[in-house]
Amino acid sequence: MANWFLRGVRQGVVTTAYPRRADLSTADLPVPPTFASGRINSEKAARLVAVCPSSALAVEAADLVLDVGRCTGCQRCLRVAGEDGRSSAHFEWATRDRHALLVHFPIGESS
Amino acid sequence: MIENEEVDRRRDAPPALRSSSVAETAAELHRRSVRLFGRSLHIRTIDTGSCGACESELRLLSSPRYDFHRLGLFFAPAPRHADCLMVTGPGTLAMDHALMTTYEAMPDPKIVVAVGACPMGGVFGRDQYTHGDLSTQLPVDVYIPGCPPSPLALLQGLLLALDRSQARMPGRTEPAR
Repeated sequence: MANWFLRGVRQGVVTTAYPRRADLSTADLPVPPTFASGRINSEKAARLVAVCPSSALAVEAADLVLDVGRCTGCQRCLRVAGEDGRSSAHFEWATRDRHALLVHFPIGESS
Repeated sequence: MIENEEVDRRRDAPPALRSSSVAETAAELHRRSVRLFGRSLHIRTIDTGSCGACESELRLLSSPRYDFHRLGLFFAPAPRHADCLMVTGPGTLAMDHALMTTYEAMPDPKIVVAVGACPMGGVFGRDQYTHGDLSTQLPVDVYIPGCPPSPLALLQGLLLALDRSQARMPGRTEPAR
């Protein structure tokens, strides 16, 4: 009994403190990407759209549009984008508004 | 005695809505449902053809690591007991009947949460086997993206549905570092 109690005190509580405090384990989650605004040109945008397996990326007018709702976090686009893309490192995407999940990145001239 | 009469009155007939316009009525109903669900929520999950990844993350919510019971959230054993329906999967036509029966069996007011990329058309689009978009079938209250969403993302979505958390989406365009 005493050993059990002491082991519990030493090893602490495993439950996350999440809504009160940030949880460190979230750094490694597969999350949607983000692209540098104006640094993706139209040719590269077309390649990004082609490589996305879940049709989350699309070109609309002068923007590259990422539908976070459809994104599976596979990061294939990040291999194509190179230095112009990175992981958003953000996992709290829950929303009431479906349209808020459409993230626009302006397409630039050069890359 | 007065207290019992008060309870009976409230149980029998909810007070009539005082608002006039549709927007005001919607806002008042939203306030009432938040007051009703603000402390506790019983959740029913339904799989409409998912690969099982979302289910495995959903089950982790009740594990000691995430322990969603500490926040007043519980899995309900039947739709009759549930306030919230969490839908996973792309909405296969074969699950139409089960999905609608489950939704109709739940008492009002009810919350519908779309879990993962599938109910938002991410993995399978609309074709002859799947709806591909849950919002064409049911009124969706909260969308939780991810493939699968982590238990913490699910927790945030559930707390958002209860208005105990704000939407925490980052800005529309972020410069790359």
